Amino acid sequence: MNAAAEAMQRRHGDSLWNKAWRKFRHDRVGVVALLVVCAYAIVALGVVLGWWATGWADISGPKWAPLSSEHWLGTNIIGQDIFSRAVYSTRTAFEVGLIVALGATFIGAVLGAIAGFFSATWIDEAVIWLMGVLDSVPFILLVAAIAYSLQDSPWAMHIAMIATFWIGTARLVRGEVIKLKGQEFVESAHAIGLGRMTIIFRHILPNTFHVLLVQATLSFVAAIKSEVILSFLGLGVKDGMSWGLMISESTFEVLAGYFNNFIAASVLMFGLVMAFNMFSDALQDALDPRTVK
Amino acid sequence: MEVLLYSLRKLLAGIPLVLGVTLISFLLIVYFGPDKTYELVGKNPTAEQIAEVRSQLGYDRPFVTRYMEYLREIVTLDFGSSESTDEKVSSILARTIPVSLLLALPGFILGNALGVLLALVAAYFRGGLVDKLIMGSAAVGMSVSYLIAIIGFQILLSSADGLDLFPVRGWDTSTPLAYIQHVTVPTLATVFVALGYNTRFYRAVIVEEMTRDHVRTARAFGIPPAKIFYRNILKNSMVPIVTRVVFSIPLIVISGSLLLESYFGIPGIGKVSYDAIITGDQPVLKAVVALTAILFVVAQLLTDICYRLVDPRVSLGASTR
Amino acid sequence: MTALRTVKNIALCFVAVSLTAACEGNGNGSSTPTEVKTFHYSMRSSPGSLDPARVSTVSANVMVQTLYDSLYAYKYLQRPYELKPRLAAAMPEISDDGLTYTIRLKQGIRFADNRAFSNGRGREVVAEDFVYALKRHFDPDSRSVAAWIWQGRIVGLDEWKRNGADYDQPVKGLQAIDRYVLQIRLTRPYPQLVHNLAMGPSAAVPREAVEFYGREFSVNPVGSGPFRLISYDATEAVLVRNENFQREPVSLAEEGYDPITQGQYGLEVIDGRRAPFIDRLEISFIDEGSARWSSFTKGNEVQMAGVPAEQVYRVLESRDPVVLKPEYARKYHMSTEKEAGFVYTAFNMDFPETGYHPDPVRNERNRALRCAIMKARDWNARNDSWYGGLGEIFPGIIPSSVPEFDPELSRESVEYDPEGARALLAEYGWNAGNLPELVYSSQPGPTSRLFFEQFRGWLTNIGYPKEKIILKTYATFADLSKAWHNSEEQLLSLGWLLDYPDAESSLQLFYGPNRSPGSNSSNYSNPEYDRLYEATSVMQPSAERTALYRQMNRMVIDDCVVISGLSRVGIALWHKNVVALPDNNFVGGQFLQYVDVLDKAVGSAVR
Repeated sequence: MNAAAEAMQRRHGDSLWNKAWRKFRHDRVGVVALLVVCAYAIVALGVVLGWWATGWADISGPKWAPLSSEHWLGTNIIGQDIFSRAVYSTRTAFEVGLIVALGATFIGAVLGAIAGFFSATWIDEAVIWLMGVLDSVPFILLVAAIAYSLQDSPWAMHIAMIATFWIGTARLVRGEVIKLKGQEFVESAHAIGLGRMTIIFRHILPNTFHVLLVQATLSFVAAIKSEVILSFLGLGVKDGMSWGLMISESTFEVLAGYFNNFIAASVLMFGLVMAFNMFSDALQDALDPRTVK
Repeated sequence: MEVLLYSLRKLLAGIPLVLGVTLISFLLIVYFGPDKTYELVGKNPTAEQIAEVRSQLGYDRPFVTRYMEYLREIVTLDFGSSESTDEKVSSILARTIPVSLLLALPGFILGNALGVLLALVAAYFRGGLVDKLIMGSAAVGMSVSYLIAIIGFQILLSSADGLDLFPVRGWDTSTPLAYIQHVTVPTLATVFVALGYNTRFYRAVIVEEMTRDHVRTARAFGIPPAKIFYRNILKNSMVPIVTRVVFSIPLIVISGSLLLESYFGIPGIGKVSYDAIITGDQPVLKAVVALTAILFVVAQLLTDICYRLVDPRVSLGASTR
Repeated sequence: MTALRTVKNIALCFVAVSLTAACEGNGNGSSTPTEVKTFHYSMRSSPGSLDPARVSTVSANVMVQTLYDSLYAYKYLQRPYELKPRLAAAMPEISDDGLTYTIRLKQGIRFADNRAFSNGRGREVVAEDFVYALKRHFDPDSRSVAAWIWQGRIVGLDEWKRNGADYDQPVKGLQAIDRYVLQIRLTRPYPQLVHNLAMGPSAAVPREAVEFYGREFSVNPVGSGPFRLISYDATEAVLVRNENFQREPVSLAEEGYDPITQGQYGLEVIDGRRAPFIDRLEISFIDEGSARWSSFTKGNEVQMAGVPAEQVYRVLESRDPVVLKPEYARKYHMSTEKEAGFVYTAFNMDFPETGYHPDPVRNERNRALRCAIMKARDWNARNDSWYGGLGEIFPGIIPSSVPEFDPELSRESVEYDPEGARALLAEYGWNAGNLPELVYSSQPGPTSRLFFEQFRGWLTNIGYPKEKIILKTYATFADLSKAWHNSEEQLLSLGWLLDYPDAESSLQLFYGPNRSPGSNSSNYSNPEYDRLYEATSVMQPSAERTALYRQMNRMVIDDCVVISGLSRVGIALWHKNVVALPDNNFVGGQFLQYVDVLDKAVGSAVR
């Protein structure tokens, strides 16, 4: 059977992940960053479960109320509670980040692996062509067109981001797979007659998992940040509330001397993005077999 | 001669890419892009007037005919006139592209040069305090949204509420001084946002080169670190660095920067393309899309040539990698 | 002309309080008489085409009125607005049946010099130029957006188009009797014609320039206005004085100067002098309110600016009366200006859920539902949030900027009455279970979203389930525009700017035959209303016509077709050394020719 191949793969995998975990545990910045991300995740979960920030859409307060016990961060131009909106946006951030990260990583992994495995064939050429084409279509045109073609679907922005973000992942995975496919365990898998798809998805792709993990965290951050620009251009979140929308709202408030919206959204977003970046860095270091600790 | 043949072959190989980009973009524009008709008819249009305008815009012709015409326009580089202002597309591009270039160039050069520099320092002191400091700042920079950076710098450096050092908006390149005055704040915003990414990327590249076997071997043989650094690490790192730089060029030339241009009132291509996208100004869009694709092909070619220029030996290595 | 693309402005309401945006360039520089005297003005958006036939935005209209000349114009300072001859020598001679207009032109007026003319020198403006300009609107190649104004009104003009739009073919009702006399013959009386002849699209256009530049005529304007264009892109236009512009000296008395309300601006210095007073006019197009405000307060950039709505509270000491804070009053002149238009939310009566229903009982219930939604609207909150609390709320569709406004009309339809709304819903059997879904269509952008959230908030206050109020966002304004022209939208928040000071300009919004794709986006259809509209359309202004106008207004209110309305009020600020009084309504861009820039402050401080 393919015991040899599996053993090889397991050994490779085990050592990598064990070593990475040991390394990561000793990276204090990384651990703190992970804890911060988890705290945000809990806030987001609470929003989903309706524990807090349920009143984000109410217009009960006065216009631009200052900080008070009733409105912790004051209110916006139509009297909505900024704290609730900022907290509610955490959920949106995770929703956008997770969907885009998972979607982009999945597509990137599959297409990248296939292209890498069949490198220098027409399949590889086709994937490379597709990547080149999507890279060259102006991003805003793509988003606007997708937004229109999906009518007013709330997923238009997510799909547009996935459609472009997978490319980076696919390029890396393709490179990794090209490296891996010459290795012993793949050759033995060939030797015992396993199907090509089995080899790609059962044996090669799992060995690129460290790349995928890091890419996913990067896509997560990129998605949250792109959301700000897209929301500013009116191509972002359709229903609900997001930090990007709050920042866009605030662009015509800051010069009037009302910074609550701007600060609440930017600080919360900055915190999450920063923590995620740090976490991603630590993860990258931990998973890099060359770094020595 | 060899290089010339090689370039020609590469350019030919780029045709499918140009076809793909233009086909997909044109499909998106035609079937999903905004319909300009109702902007061009008056307040009380009749069905007849609507039909008239649609026919002038070419909306009533079959897709294949229109795409073929697009291809002809690409070959002749004549894209007609903007449907919004009636100005010739060629004169719009000739007017706006140089502006966008002048706007983007300082930020692009500084962002990359500083990025490489900081990355070298960080990589050299890898794991040390300096490294942590640089990478920490990079992470901070990466966590700030572009929009926030632009608004922040504008208020801080230009407005009467801030330091009031530079013009709030406008564009003037008549004298070097005027150019510097107008380009400084946008450049700072660009560098601020791009530097984190660049430093991080370049550091990763350099660290990768540092940990290669031949570097370790060289080190084991007692070759001075400075020499290793220059000969083995820096030279080999140039390949991915040059690739990244060259591939950013088409985006700078043709996309400009919408946010920079609209906040600082700079008449570049970014604002023009964005307006064309949201109003469905097809002639302008077609030109922008086609030029982007062509520039990408050229950029690819340039990278390949750069491989050889940077280090002839690398090109061999690169192709097997 | 402004009304052509009004709706665009609507959606962009947040910038709207800053209707007046202008600026002065070298304010704190020393402008000695030998220097080039520059005024740096600003507008919200880039005008696009500068072809008078294609003027479709407020900013394009300003540009066209600065570059071109029309037969008539509104007096610079007179309020309410009053017409005066501009290129015409006098007001038109109108035949007794109201069908024939004879207009004599001033002699010796010349177009600006341009290489389109055979010797490069601007030739004289003659009656034939107006014939040509009006014909152009009916030539499909010129893509006019203003043809509807004259459609079916001038004898032979529509036939001329059907026969191939050949400029060498004469039009019976549109003739140059001689070099300086224009005669227009109408198919039926059209009392608003003189107003139309004061609008940008009826400006004199030299045929040789259109033929010389072809499509690029749109960015190479050749007119007889006070300025000519020397450079133009998406961010800025630079104009210089048209040397050929030689008109009679300004008479403040004739322009309707009122020393009591306008005395503080120092306008006396222009009396008896020949306009224009500045050599160079720079106009920046600045979308972002924050960037515009920063540029204005800087001092050496934009010199005149509308105060963005969100800044109103910051610059004002009091809102009623409008008084600037001392630190601003020291530095700037100020004027307030009410737009000749209004913002409103329209129901599309084509939707059986909330509009017309074949079942008379349901039809009546739908009316009650619309009326309840109307009562739920808190106009004061909207005013406070978006228009700096300065906007003027009025019932119906006849705003106070036209003479037919009815100050006695009941304000019930604009009163915030959530109790009454709930009671009305209950009375007609509406409850959370059977209330229909409401789809609110909007263009993208944070402000539009907040408009929606505020609208939804009001409705939830009267017991409307939150999930039944749905936001439908279009990726671009063009898509939204297409949808509503095709009657695909249930609810729309719009804005409307009047073309001329006559309520007909807004009453047409509910005239049945104007239904989609026309301007009647509500698709309101009321035979009695249509009958009155047709009857008044041929009447000269009179007490009788005013009474009929008001009757139509009440019909629209009673049927609860539209939640209306609010006229936005803008505050314009400008530097103390600039002599001007900006206007963005009917005087529009023409005020720019009267701007002067001195080397010291003029006028008196506002209190």
